[in-house]
Amino acid sequence: MADRFRSSIVELGVALSTEWNRFWFTPAPARRLAVVRSLAGGLGLLLAWSWAGDLIAWFGPDGIVSPAVLTAWRSPTGLSLFDAARSSAAVWAFFLFGVGLLGMLAVGAWTPLVAPLAACFWASLLHRGPMLVGPADDVLAVMLWCLAVGRPGDAFAVDRWLAGGAGREAAPSWRNGLSLGLLRVHAAVIAAAAAVAQLKADVWWNGTAAWFLAARESTRVDLTGLLAGSEIVTNIVTHAIVLFEIAFAAGLWNRWTRPVVARAGLVVWPLIGLVAGEPMWGAAMAILAWACVPDEAPER
Amino acid sequence: MPASVRGPATVLLVVYLVGLGLCVAGNTASGTSRVVGTLKDRLFAPWMVPLWLDLGHDTRLTYGLPEDADHHIEIRPAVSPLARPARPGKGPAAAVLRFPAPGDHSERGARWRRLAAATVLAEEDAEQAGVLPAAIGAGLFRAAGDDDLEVRIVRRVAPDYESARSPRRNETALEVRVRRLDGELQLIPLPPAEEVAPLVDAAPPTGEGR
Repeated sequence: MADRFRSSIVELGVALSTEWNRFWFTPAPARRLAVVRSLAGGLGLLLAWSWAGDLIAWFGPDGIVSPAVLTAWRSPTGLSLFDAARSSAAVWAFFLFGVGLLGMLAVGAWTPLVAPLAACFWASLLHRGPMLVGPADDVLAVMLWCLAVGRPGDAFAVDRWLAGGAGREAAPSWRNGLSLGLLRVHAAVIAAAAAVAQLKADVWWNGTAAWFLAARESTRVDLTGLLAGSEIVTNIVTHAIVLFEIAFAAGLWNRWTRPVVARAGLVVWPLIGLVAGEPMWGAAMAILAWACVPDEAPER
Repeated sequence: MPASVRGPATVLLVVYLVGLGLCVAGNTASGTSRVVGTLKDRLFAPWMVPLWLDLGHDTRLTYGLPEDADHHIEIRPAVSPLARPARPGKGPAAAVLRFPAPGDHSERGARWRRLAAATVLAEEDAEQAGVLPAAIGAGLFRAAGDDDLEVRIVRRVAPDYESARSPRRNETALEVRVRRLDGELQLIPLPPAEEVAPLVDAAPPTGEGR
């Protein structure tokens, strides 16, 4: 009896270990990750543009987010390369250097060096003005670190072209598999955490949350006329957002549902972003959804 | 993958995934338990915070509360409390700078809205209270061309669904006076206008109503 129990425990351990290794360490081609790299770099440039207009008003020597503000606001372990920038010129120099990194990431130039540097730059920028940060900034930070783990410069990249391998595909790498696995875990966690956060409030249960999203002055798409005219439509939109988030978070872990929810995410996340007034967040989530689309037949 | 790498990589992955779980559990708007908070702060925050990975990802989008409404910052040259109008729009017009500008739907505008909302939220925290309003005033002295400003955070609160056809209403979430006097920055909380305005409307005009 004890032997049987022991052997079943061993079998379970072996099965778990095999599954763990298969999920995290199976070599994967670079193409999907390269697209994520390119899109993340492009999104980073767009988001950086939104910092640029008021860079000195926020971070300049006489800016709003002064060192005194950061002392009261930032976590003691938070740090930023921008802290060393004491003049407007230095702030701009750091910023433009980071923008250059994001541009290089987008085109895949010197990717092994640029990917971690771009992640460091982004974290530094967010630590310089934590009260200005939005959900898209957070998701991009996660994506950049995940990209730094893989080899996203092995396809659709200047690196590949410089190495003379533009026509040939690079060998699959376990680092790409690891990077894609991390991206999938984060996609599911972010969607699940959003759904859990929303379900704490009455408006997501009584079906009127979509109204409060649409009725904001800042919203890009004015749905107030449509929603005010039909409570049923308002309820459907509200519940559909939460249901999709739950389906996305759970569906990524089943071989049959994963292709469906991941591909649906390419369309639905941007729509949610538009309705919610957070289009950049929707775009970032769509990039994560792209990372979750299986390459061939259901496998991982 | 080399077997010599797999072991350390697995350990790092497990550590990171535990940290991820604790960060999500420890960064919710509902608060966190002492166990989760202590574990996260002692073991994971020191290296996850600098990487900007200490995230809750609790994107609630809206709870339908006033604090979820769009916020903006209004800056105007300060006036004496007794000279302030009892109701907005009833007094002498002063040049008002608004951040973000009306109709700005860009991500840049969204960052100003976040700053405004964070300023209001921070007033509930003893350590952070007053810091951002003073910083906003001081940071905008040059833009306003004045070293004595009123900083006002306004919410554009949407009506409930039952009264969906009603217009949004402005709600002053925070109002302070920030000035630089002899090189020293001063923050003066402003009471609501109704508390300091003379009650001219309440007294009947002379010779009438008697």
